[in-house]
Amino acid sequence: MKSSLESVAAPALQRSSVKNVLRDAVNGVDFNRFRFWLQIFFFVLLVYGGYAGINFGNSLPTFSCGYNSSGRPGVCYLMPLQHQLAMPWPVLFGYAGITVLTGFFTFFLWFIVLNKGWCGFVCPLGTIQDWITGLRKRVGVRFARYSHAQFQTLSWIKYVLLALMILIPLGIGAGYVSRDMSAPFCAICPARMIIPLFAADFRQFMVDFSSPTKIAMTALGATVTGLFFTGSFVKKRFWCFFCPMSAFHYLLSKVAFFRLIKDGGKCTRCGDCYSVCDLQIKEIADDVKTPQIMMDDCIVCLKCVAACPEEGALKASFAGMTIFESTEAGFVKRMEKGVNS
Amino acid sequence: MNGPLKTTTPVAPVPAATIVTAKTEPLPFGRTKQAQEAERALNHIIDDFDDNPKAMHYFYDLFRRVYCRGESIAAAGIRIGTTCIHAPEELVYAMGATPVRLCNGSYHYDQIGADFMPAKSCSLVKATLGMLCSENPVPRVGKLDLVVNPTTCDQKKKASAMLQEMGHPVFDLELPNVKESEASRVYWRRSVRQFVEELRRVTGRKLTRRNLKAAMARTQRAEKAFRVLDGFRRASPSVFLGKDAFLVVNAYFFDELDRWCEAVEALNAELGERLEKAIRAAQKKAPRIVFTGSPPIFPNLKLPLLIERAGGVVVSDETCSANRMLYDMTAIDEWLLNDMVDSLADKYLKPCTCPIFTKNEDRRRRLLELVTKFSADGVVYQAFAGCQVYEMEQRSVAQTLNEKGVPMLYIETDYSPDDEGQLSTRVEAFLESIKTRKRNRA
Repeated sequence: MKSSLESVAAPALQRSSVKNVLRDAVNGVDFNRFRFWLQIFFFVLLVYGGYAGINFGNSLPTFSCGYNSSGRPGVCYLMPLQHQLAMPWPVLFGYAGITVLTGFFTFFLWFIVLNKGWCGFVCPLGTIQDWITGLRKRVGVRFARYSHAQFQTLSWIKYVLLALMILIPLGIGAGYVSRDMSAPFCAICPARMIIPLFAADFRQFMVDFSSPTKIAMTALGATVTGLFFTGSFVKKRFWCFFCPMSAFHYLLSKVAFFRLIKDGGKCTRCGDCYSVCDLQIKEIADDVKTPQIMMDDCIVCLKCVAACPEEGALKASFAGMTIFESTEAGFVKRMEKGVNS
Repeated sequence: MNGPLKTTTPVAPVPAATIVTAKTEPLPFGRTKQAQEAERALNHIIDDFDDNPKAMHYFYDLFRRVYCRGESIAAAGIRIGTTCIHAPEELVYAMGATPVRLCNGSYHYDQIGADFMPAKSCSLVKATLGMLCSENPVPRVGKLDLVVNPTTCDQKKKASAMLQEMGHPVFDLELPNVKESEASRVYWRRSVRQFVEELRRVTGRKLTRRNLKAAMARTQRAEKAFRVLDGFRRASPSVFLGKDAFLVVNAYFFDELDRWCEAVEALNAELGERLEKAIRAAQKKAPRIVFTGSPPIFPNLKLPLLIERAGGVVVSDETCSANRMLYDMTAIDEWLLNDMVDSLADKYLKPCTCPIFTKNEDRRRRLLELVTKFSADGVVYQAFAGCQVYEMEQRSVAQTLNEKGVPMLYIETDYSPDDEGQLSTRVEAFLESIKTRKRNRA
């Protein structure tokens, strides 16, 4: 901090190389608009990609819903995982174990590229929630918040769902649980009913009366979908808070290439990041000790980075390389745009 | 504004006509001791340094008019006095009123205010009380429709009732003592909403999405201008001195907002040119100082001036009369009234490094960051005698800085000019030791 005294100049003079110009352009981007369009791109890709013959396989770490049978360009990993785990135990723990492991490994490879950025940028169900939020904003209705205590309690639900999503299929394989419970999470996942709608497929909007178990599961699914619409109208990213995929991601997130990094020394704890956070993550503002600041509820939407006025306090990095970081100039630009909108 | 000195019962406002006829002011204001105090300080600020930026003359003139000649700067319409940076000014502007910060730096008022407080009390609180009990106080901000008193330190808290007794309508803006907890956030957001209600009562206007947005656009311009100015202070060798920086933000206390922004933007433009032409404001090897602690407020720029007259440069500060007042900016996710008010509330609580809160980790981290960001060589810590909270934090701050090898000078002082000689010796010795360190390291 002493040796480079002479080179420290006011920011006004630090504009020269192409790299700097490019970096400033990225850091000063109208982030919300950029994300809006990127989400639309991924939405189209994941809901209609199948029509263009795209196939990414069966291990996608995002809700590319398998029930959207004609439009999907690949299948959400949770669907094959639940089916695989429901194989009879001798098969599952025999040769078929290889299939399970291969599937998981492929899922893992996909996942580590974007980390939970899959949630914040790619997931179609997430995008739909953001659209619903946009609708609410237009209507001028304020959003709801959980109290801190509610937040802490509800935050467990996604882990419970993840555990059930694994244990119930294992139970089926062992013969303890009825086959009617197969793919239990898909039965209650709002994506099953909603995503096919975009391909004009209304078949999932039903209650299956073939058995009491199926009645219960499909009715529960319909209820959850109803909750999804009402919930995400009043609460930003309502569903993501309960999503077992989010919990699954978090368990693997420490090794992913894409990271959200915080430099606590530069943080003033002003709470700007917290106040824009869709998931109400307190740590993003208050924790100044953890560099890898991505918490379990985080969807890596990077809104916090765009809303941070401190140079380099928050950054998104890929394999150690910073690709987007908070800057004073970028902050001012975005806020001026907001206040004059 | 209207209670005579040491009145114990609230009195009705004196009609303007009475002031003109019955008010006995033997000397023209410019020749009073009070004006001379300001004159002396201003002369030091201007004349002790060569080649002040031309754009600074707007501020020098402003202070001369307001403090030395006693010209009125009363804003039209409803005026809301604030005794602390915690009162969200955006809300005041939004409802068509004008905020004016009342924290006072005058020794003259410090002596008058001494009647209200125990012997060992903070000069700032005493001076503010002294100012507000005077009949025609300087700066002449006009009759106040409301004084907002955030419940910060004990002295400011107790000043509330005294202000009320002087005849001022006072609103206690309730601030929590802890700022980390979620409960404090909720509590503070509720307090800010009560403040909105109070403003609504006083102004008769309603806070809307539209007027708040317009107000935020104005304050944002000020914050942006301040940040640019702040950026210039990172330059080494320095292009801008701390005494001028303090003066610029001091002007923000009472100056018309848009005019202030224009003046700072002009200053920024000039500093940009000066930086390019490598016009230095201080010597190349001048020790770079981060100023922290009790806030220097004109005319009491005693300590920053001593530092800079002795060859140091105050490159940054962690005080509520400069950096902390304008540095933090608000991010809004949804431009709807509720989210805007909540986010504003957060800005006024969460990043605050005021020592009135239970913990001071944020302050210590902030100081270290400022030292790094502004390539500082040392820290000068001013505590007004009687400002217990700053006095109590001295130990922990000194320890943190010590661990990182940053030298710190702790100075306990007040508004009186008596200790100037003694202080200048200490400051010079401190700067000399820094120079020696730098030489030995090089």
